[in-house]
Amino acid sequence: MSDVAHEEHVHESTGVETRKLAMWVFLSSEFMFFGALITNYLLFKGRVGYTAPYPAEIFDIPFTSVSSFVLLMSSLTMVLADHAIHRDDQRSTRTWLIATALLGMVFLAGQAYEFTTFVVDEGMKISTNPAASAFFTLTGFHGTHVLVGVIMLLTLVGISFRKGRLSTATGLNLENVALYWHFVDIIWIVIFTVVYLIK
Amino acid sequence: MATPASPASTIFRRPRQTSGWMSWITTVDHKKIGIMYGYSAFIFFILGGLEALILRLQLAGPDGTVLDAAEYNAMFTMHGTTMVFLFVMPVGAAFFNYLLPLMIGARDVAFPRMNALSFWIFIFGGIFLYSSFLFGTTGPPSGGNLPGGATDASWLGSTINGGWFMYQPNAGPRFSTGTVLDYGAIGLQILGLASLISAVNFIATILNMRAKGMKLLRMPVFIWMTLVVAFLLLFSLPIIAVALFMVTFDRQLGTLFFDTFQGGDAVLWQHLFWLFGHPEVYILILPAMGIVSETLPVFSRKPLFGYPAVVFAGAAIGFLGFGVWAHHMFSSGITPVAQAAFGLATMTIAVPTGIKIFNWLGTMWMGKIKFTTPMLFSLGFVALFVIGGLSGVTHSIVPADWQQTDTYYIVAHFHYVLFGGAIFGIFAGLYYWFPKLTGRMMSEKLGKLHFWLMFIGMNLTFGPMHWLGLQGMVRRTWKYPAEYNFGTWNMVVTVGAFIIASSILVFMLNWTKSKRRGVEAGMDPWDARTIEWSIPNPTPEWNFGVNPDVHSLDDWWHRKYDEDEDGRPVRRPDADSTIAQFHDQGVNPPAPIHLPTPSYFPFFAGASFLAVGYGVIYHTRGWGLPLLIFGVVLLLSSLIGWSLEPLEEEHEEVHA
Amino acid sequence: MAGAQTKAHPSPKQYVQIAVLLAVLTAVEVALYYIEEAGVSEIVVYPTLIILAILKFVIVVAFYMHTRYEKGIISRFFTVGFVGALMLYTVVLGTFGVLSAIGG
Repeated sequence: MSDVAHEEHVHESTGVETRKLAMWVFLSSEFMFFGALITNYLLFKGRVGYTAPYPAEIFDIPFTSVSSFVLLMSSLTMVLADHAIHRDDQRSTRTWLIATALLGMVFLAGQAYEFTTFVVDEGMKISTNPAASAFFTLTGFHGTHVLVGVIMLLTLVGISFRKGRLSTATGLNLENVALYWHFVDIIWIVIFTVVYLIK
Repeated sequence: MATPASPASTIFRRPRQTSGWMSWITTVDHKKIGIMYGYSAFIFFILGGLEALILRLQLAGPDGTVLDAAEYNAMFTMHGTTMVFLFVMPVGAAFFNYLLPLMIGARDVAFPRMNALSFWIFIFGGIFLYSSFLFGTTGPPSGGNLPGGATDASWLGSTINGGWFMYQPNAGPRFSTGTVLDYGAIGLQILGLASLISAVNFIATILNMRAKGMKLLRMPVFIWMTLVVAFLLLFSLPIIAVALFMVTFDRQLGTLFFDTFQGGDAVLWQHLFWLFGHPEVYILILPAMGIVSETLPVFSRKPLFGYPAVVFAGAAIGFLGFGVWAHHMFSSGITPVAQAAFGLATMTIAVPTGIKIFNWLGTMWMGKIKFTTPMLFSLGFVALFVIGGLSGVTHSIVPADWQQTDTYYIVAHFHYVLFGGAIFGIFAGLYYWFPKLTGRMMSEKLGKLHFWLMFIGMNLTFGPMHWLGLQGMVRRTWKYPAEYNFGTWNMVVTVGAFIIASSILVFMLNWTKSKRRGVEAGMDPWDARTIEWSIPNPTPEWNFGVNPDVHSLDDWWHRKYDEDEDGRPVRRPDADSTIAQFHDQGVNPPAPIHLPTPSYFPFFAGASFLAVGYGVIYHTRGWGLPLLIFGVVLLLSSLIGWSLEPLEEEHEEVHA
Repeated sequence: MAGAQTKAHPSPKQYVQIAVLLAVLTAVEVALYYIEEAGVSEIVVYPTLIILAILKFVIVVAFYMHTRYEKGIISRFFTVGFVGALMLYTVVLGTFGVLSAIGG
């Protein structure tokens, strides 16, 4: 039904499908968003002399490395879902979508656990010092983006059950959700290096 | 009545109304959305103007008693916030929405429902912001000076009061208790989201939905300016979004970003704000520059001089606009190296601006000028913007700026470029495109009266501010003592402000009269150049009866006129029949046309932000958190419902 | 839609190989972190970490996000957004003296 492409007035002057173009346009603005958050952290992390502890002192690198690995692998499952739908393999698409959502939720669980240990065990809350404020805000927004991604993935899964099939033409389309998902992953690549690994 | 697609496709039946208020709530038609933006923006213009008049009453003489300090702070804050975010930006959106598809030959924008969403987020954001008058509290001021020892301001003062720029930590939790600044931060956040969504929409539309033959360098300059503005919005809004989140978190969650007592940084706010704030002022002026680039050629009966240069200059202004933000911070303690660098960068922006000015002059040179109302406003734009630009360049000289900053000299500068520039350009556009909207012409007599009253009033209001500022009259201060001898010129300023107000009344009279009883415009009343004039007036619902086939820049003009050996236009013998033919195919489209179907979801998604906003501010009260959760749930379910809904119902057709 | 992409895609097998590469790079990064803790100079470790991050970043963007197989306009949006953000925020940090602090 919505798959009927109204060819007579859907033309693409750039040759790129309009929704994909729009998603890239949006993602290019997200660089400015996360750039500001990362800049904040870089600015504040060197400010000591206030209430301890500071984020850099209490990171659990092994734990976060595993989280990062999980998110990286979710990009793999995501691209496999994308590949499957281009082959019109509904079953595999659904499987890989669910896998991606699950890995995303594991990542989020890891973040939640990490935050809880920081607050409860280490005594670093968002209001403890500016570095902590910046850290929680940055990773919190990243986590929120992951959550939104998971919701979109689960919506796609829901659509695939309800309508019996997903196609590349529906409004909320897998290809664009995939772009969003990978973007969230590459932001984490930057955060992991710049915030966690470089002290 | 169309048959909806399979019953499982939507949760609710699609709205079908074509008239009445429900049709406006569910519309996804760019023209209706543009009209809603326009009227809403105008209402806010009146409110912002009233706020200005109150300020001017207070400052008309020394030691004014009309407002107390708290009320003054609130009024100047709301005046600025309203004019920038609730008038100039939305009226720009009104023009973009209405005209963009018409000028590139499309039926609608790339994402019609998202377009409606932008409008509803804007209007609910504006309502949220203004509800601070009703619900906002200022709390006990720190070291306050409220008369009679009051701990809360009067209703006039109980609104956003930290300046439109909300400098930290003054506007943070330590020094501004109460809720008004939460309304400010959250309200702006909501408004920013609306503009960001629009920006993505317009970029996708301009890049992908141009008619056949409408190459990028054949687009009207107004559309190029729309594109540059969209990119400015795209890259600057995320920065202010982060800054507003930071201040909201400082106020609600106890973060320490801007609390200088605990390691926070006040200057960081200024950087983040002005990183957005400077591109923002180009967002405010470029649409008007685009409008004037359309009207000057039409009323000089000459093509725009140096079209590629004007386009390139616009893009350059946008690009350079990201590199000059710290010129708002010359006296905030940044290093001399930074000051020199930003001063230099600011000077360079004068170059592309100058290119545009000279090209506009070149357009008019040796042209056959018609002094219609839109032309008068366009000429006013050029003259007044140059004055504002010149004072702007004086700010780029850092030591001079140390003297000028925070005085009325700066107020003079930005009002010349924003009022003399943006607002004159906006009125030029309103008079020029009124026939497209209504099929009628506005009254030339009333239009000219409006222009002259506004021109005189504007110069009386903002001219004296130049020397008042250099004499030392400080900004953002609620009164001045008699010994400074500022009283005489301030009285002139106040009189000027009321003259401006009277000119607005003339405009409103003109608009309402002409809508009903203006002279009928017919097709192409201005003998214009661009393709939005190749369709009937008022614009049919489907825009173009036949998709345009564009052969050149100013395609419509070239269908009516050839050029002789001297380059002068010669009307083609078949011009009249061309016009008639385009009129007929516009009124009677030869083939069925599919239009996007209306939808409820943008309205509900937009409304959910009200719940979210109030929920965040009052989350510590019993009902606050549930309200927040309700807002989030409403938003999510609207978005999910939207994603299940096809853009167009099958078999939905529109016939003449 | 699918028609917009003109070049061949990687196969699932290649996607998995890329994922393995990404995992290896991550492992190297973590190893470097501990090497630095053990006393190797930051001047060696930090630039290497940044290079590795850039590598992972580019690989995901080029292959998983398909930019390698898309029309050029996509890469241009990406580059403008990314480079623009990088430049702008570098200037901001510069005005705070953070960059000299990091370098020192």
